[in-house]
Amino acid sequence: METIYQDILTYSIYGSAMVLVLIGLYAVLMKKNLTKIVIGLSIMDAGLHLLFVAIGYVSNGTAPIFSPAAIESGQQMVDPVPQALVLTAIVIGFAVTAVALSLVIRLYKHHNSARIDQIKSLKW
Amino acid sequence: MVITPVHYIAFPLLAAFLIPLVGKISRQAARIIPGIVLTYLAFVSVTLMIEVQSTGFITETLAGWKAPWGINLVFSKFSGLLATLISFMGLIIWAYSFNFKKVETEISLKYQTLQMMMVTGALGMVLTGDIFNLFVFLEIVAISAYSLTALYRNRDGAEAAFKYLLIGSFASAFILLGIMILYTQVGTLNMAEIAVRMVDVPVGMKTLILIFFLVGFGIEAEIFPLNGWAPDAYSQAPGPVGAAFAAIVVKAGVYALIRIIFTIFDLEVAHEFLIYAGFVTMIIAELSALRQTNLKRMLAFSSIGQVGFVLVAFGIGTQTAVVGALFLMINHAVIKGLLFMSGSYLVYDTPGKEINALKGIAKQLPIVSFFFALGAFAIVGLPPFAGFWAKLWVLTAAAEKEMIMLIVIILLISVVEIIYYFRVLNKLYFEKREEQFEVVKPTVQAFTSMAILAAVIVFVGLYPDALLGFLKSASETLLDKSIYISNVLGQNMN
Repeated sequence: METIYQDILTYSIYGSAMVLVLIGLYAVLMKKNLTKIVIGLSIMDAGLHLLFVAIGYVSNGTAPIFSPAAIESGQQMVDPVPQALVLTAIVIGFAVTAVALSLVIRLYKHHNSARIDQIKSLKW
Repeated sequence: MVITPVHYIAFPLLAAFLIPLVGKISRQAARIIPGIVLTYLAFVSVTLMIEVQSTGFITETLAGWKAPWGINLVFSKFSGLLATLISFMGLIIWAYSFNFKKVETEISLKYQTLQMMMVTGALGMVLTGDIFNLFVFLEIVAISAYSLTALYRNRDGAEAAFKYLLIGSFASAFILLGIMILYTQVGTLNMAEIAVRMVDVPVGMKTLILIFFLVGFGIEAEIFPLNGWAPDAYSQAPGPVGAAFAAIVVKAGVYALIRIIFTIFDLEVAHEFLIYAGFVTMIIAELSALRQTNLKRMLAFSSIGQVGFVLVAFGIGTQTAVVGALFLMINHAVIKGLLFMSGSYLVYDTPGKEINALKGIAKQLPIVSFFFALGAFAIVGLPPFAGFWAKLWVLTAAAEKEMIMLIVIILLISVVEIIYYFRVLNKLYFEKREEQFEVVKPTVQAFTSMAILAAVIVFVGLYPDALLGFLKSASETLLDKSIYISNVLGQNMN
């Protein structure tokens, strides 16, 4: 019974990661508003991060802290590397979002519009 | 103080954060900081290049964690060559932009900070031995490149930057996915360790990972059809930034692509892809360059075409071809740097940066026009300039492999290059001036840096042997991945 429950949990995490990526992709490709495009990029990033953490998860694993108690309990630890990578990736995503939003503000001031179909000084 | 590869990353990063602080006290001092740091890096490059020629390989472990567990820096003959190129071009570009467009000092401080970040990121990409670290440095380069594109408020820079950012975000998502899948297959992030364990990975998975990496790094390396950002970014960014894109950003992108294909995967997997992608990029970019009326866009397309040529040369994959490809990369950095530097003085205040506005400008700006002409001669590959030898090596390699079609197309493309560069030269020298407008004479620093690049082009053209020794040993290191693996992982046993 418990294993079925865990399988459902695992697949739902992978599934929701995919759904997040697709939602983000939809927003980036279909929305006309620049702010919504930036939000879409963030959602896509979040989906990728969730996927990465899910990959490193070991069912029933303990926190990856090396201590005598953890060794004695005999439980497996979850993989710490993806977690460290995701922390880095979150910071990078934050920086990209900040730059993107400041560009949106600049574009809005320049063109008095934040719609991508009304900003066409350059060829797209 | 012992000179080690970590200086390449630590000092420019420190300088980038020092500039705004020092700028509060003295803006002049803050502008000089990058020059000091980059001169020091040039010194480090010379020292390490001499050392690596005798020892063969320099690796450095960071924070005491040895190779497969921690992050290590690799200064091989190949990555060292590119690190030297990047720090040298960084120094030249700094000197050129020291007084470029006497912008209000706040922007010039931002410019110096971002430029230092970009150099840090590019050097990090070239030197790191860890694939996630490579991704982090790529993002440092990308974020500073987005901001540099949007540096001027009065142009369409923000639009070009947003476009670049959208495409760049897709690139980083793809690379992250690639790293993720790779990690599930091999369970390590160290590139040498990955190369060892790659044999156990099923072919389908390998292909999937390769596709993710090719798309991701291809965007930074301007491969068609992933190069939509490049012409806008080049034409809207300030002149020195265009030079930096061609000399630093693209070089780092190509390095990452080549390191992944040659070391992690086998060349056989991807060499046809490299040749075809390079070809399509080259043909489409050069034909687009022919149609441009804007000088900077024309240079941007020419730059994309050159990258295509480099990829074709790497794709051929023999030692001769790789020497040619490395030669092309160095040439492209130096010559395209000179062309962007002189070109942005030619179109300094002309509306729209149109080529037509340049009629007869050689009378008013004789020296700048001379540098532009020299660059144009060199890049189309006329002897005795540097570009000729690189093309000769690639063509020799193609002839050895009996790829006749390849030779024909490369020669035809050269004709196209000659047509669009000489069209500009014709306007510069042989047409009458119609309307007079103000031209701006280059500053002393800009003149010096252009003169140095021109001297390098002529010197390498006359004495290619001075460079070829380094290129040959670099190509040996690149082609034999067992050297890389044993040197990086071998340190464990000590």
